[in-house]
Amino acid sequence: MNTQASFSKPEPLSSRNWFPKVSAAVVAGGLLTFGIMGVVGLLCHSDASPRTLSAQFLLWLVALVWCVLLSVCFLFRSGRQAWAVLAVANVLVWGLFFAIRGLVS
Amino acid sequence: MKIRGDIVRTYRDVHSWVGIIAGLFLFVAFYAGAITMFEQPLQEWASAANPPPVSTPFERLPALMEKLFAAHPEAARNYSITLPAATPGQGQLSWSIAKPGAHGHGPATQVSLNDQGDLVMVQDQPSGAARFVDVLHQQVGLPFPHTLSMLLMGTVALLYAVALVSGVIAFLPGLAKNLFAVSIGRNSKKMWLDMHNLLGVFSLPFHLIMALTSVVFAFHEPIFATQQWLLGGSSAHQHMQGGPRHGGGHGRGGVAHGGHGPAGTEHGGQLPVAVQPAGEHQGPSDHGPVTGHDGVGLPQHEGSPDPAQGNDQKNAAAPRTPLPPQQIVAALAAQAPGFVPDSLTYTQRPGAGVALNVAGHDPRYSMRGPVSGFAGVDPYTGKIISADYLPGHQGTGFSIITTFFALHFGSFGGVAVRWGYVVLGLGGAFLFYTGNRLWIASRQKQERKTGLVEETRGTRFLACLTSGCTLGCVAGISAIFCAVPFLPHGGTYPVVMGLYYAVFCLFVAAAFLLGSQRCDRILLVGAGVLTALVPVAASVGRQQGDWLSPVNQAVGLTSVLVGVFLLVCAFRKIRVSSQRRLSA
Repeated sequence: MNTQASFSKPEPLSSRNWFPKVSAAVVAGGLLTFGIMGVVGLLCHSDASPRTLSAQFLLWLVALVWCVLLSVCFLFRSGRQAWAVLAVANVLVWGLFFAIRGLVS
Repeated sequence: MKIRGDIVRTYRDVHSWVGIIAGLFLFVAFYAGAITMFEQPLQEWASAANPPPVSTPFERLPALMEKLFAAHPEAARNYSITLPAATPGQGQLSWSIAKPGAHGHGPATQVSLNDQGDLVMVQDQPSGAARFVDVLHQQVGLPFPHTLSMLLMGTVALLYAVALVSGVIAFLPGLAKNLFAVSIGRNSKKMWLDMHNLLGVFSLPFHLIMALTSVVFAFHEPIFATQQWLLGGSSAHQHMQGGPRHGGGHGRGGVAHGGHGPAGTEHGGQLPVAVQPAGEHQGPSDHGPVTGHDGVGLPQHEGSPDPAQGNDQKNAAAPRTPLPPQQIVAALAAQAPGFVPDSLTYTQRPGAGVALNVAGHDPRYSMRGPVSGFAGVDPYTGKIISADYLPGHQGTGFSIITTFFALHFGSFGGVAVRWGYVVLGLGGAFLFYTGNRLWIASRQKQERKTGLVEETRGTRFLACLTSGCTLGCVAGISAIFCAVPFLPHGGTYPVVMGLYYAVFCLFVAAAFLLGSQRCDRILLVGAGVLTALVPVAASVGRQQGDWLSPVNQAVGLTSVLVGVFLLVCAFRKIRVSSQRRLSA
């Protein structure tokens, strides 16, 4: 994201347009986080029973990834870019999730 | 370190706004959390006037249990034996009844035999003081129902995480230069900034852990539900059963026998009150032992399917009775030497056998819960079935997760670490206070620069709110501990809660009535006096004077220290303002 922001000589970052960025991180970022959880969960064959190690590991993963996304979302150049990047990432991750799930089952 | 200027500026803005939104909630969470470090001893301290639970020698426990179950068959569904360290070879039996559809379980009943061999049952009426402070900590000071509070707490935790990252980014570049330069004096903005930076940098790892664990505590339920939805296989319904219990006992529809948590053990004096989850959402487990803070502590015991199912078929064939407690303890000592069991909790589900969960501690290892680790034990053979949360017997993965829990609870390294956590917690609370002060001071400075004589309404509002909330929280908690020796049963939960919020609201209202100029000193004096009065109240209110006990001394010394600190701050403020008035 950082690299994306610095592709061309950008206008300086500011905190003015925080709302679209934060909402992208909350909504699209949250969805992305769950997608990542799903992919990792499939890869480690988690059966999502909360008493298993894998389920608990995924729980912490979600917390960590979401915190990081919320923290770095301000580095997007604009709210539109934030939504676009996270939407594309969502499509990729969820596509991967359904592909793996299709392969596994 | 070189960071682009616009990034630093952006994150500085983010930091101040996120901080100002979350700061006051976090203050309450950290101040109450620091006190919660010693919830268990405080619980005993507050309940000192109540009749202590009666211990029964191990040899007589089977006879007692037989009598109890004959008289009250429902007791067999959820009972627990507390093993006080003070009286080895004895146990305190208690049971509680499930209230399906209602909040958690009924109050615990202590059971013993009198000299004639008759059952003696005493309803437990513990002090609610220590548990209230714990709930206050978990719900960041909000009096809402548990589910809503968790949602708000989670939001605060996320803001807290963002505040930490943005704070580091914003202040890293200039930090090395002015880290130790704390300038106390006239320039209040500089002073608050220096203190805020110094505290923030040195407690950063602590705060990172707290932020991450709090997010997990707040959102584990929806996250697990999503996991089930995405990945859930056959075991999915198990969690759904266990799930609603976190929600304060609402919507337990699907569970035939809602959460009759081991209430018995809860107030038994020895069993971790600290482990009790938040207020309403007791019944920490339909089946498990008292779990961590939020039930995340022990997701595995939700359902405790292994013991239950394992014994299911055998039971169907020939109902057996669990081994006597003495043999369970002996079997545990052989399998897990060094693990000291504190309580045995038996739960029975309809159509399943009895599940036994043992809570205990092992000073050599960090523990999953605030005061204990846990073992799932087969009640018929005494064999450990689940060692996932058993200190020193966990696999690598579970050990790593336990480390995070232990780092939140301070449940490692004994009493010294707990005191360290008290200091870190109070330091954290002060960090958020300095953050708010800094915000106010810099706005005042800006406003003065633009030529305003009076501060704007926003600044004044925030100044009053900061003083009212922070000092109201301190005073409210102190008022509870002052009142505990005088209240019947050491203050039941609703009484304690009412008292806290009355004092809290009084302080907030007073702050706004007095205005930002005067409220600080007066509220500081009020909170300081209330806090310093705690040991006085304890020595006046208690008839029998064992007020030289270590807990009493610790409570007294700590509250005097905090009280004197507040009073010193108050007098500093009074002096500064009178000097100003003289020079003007």
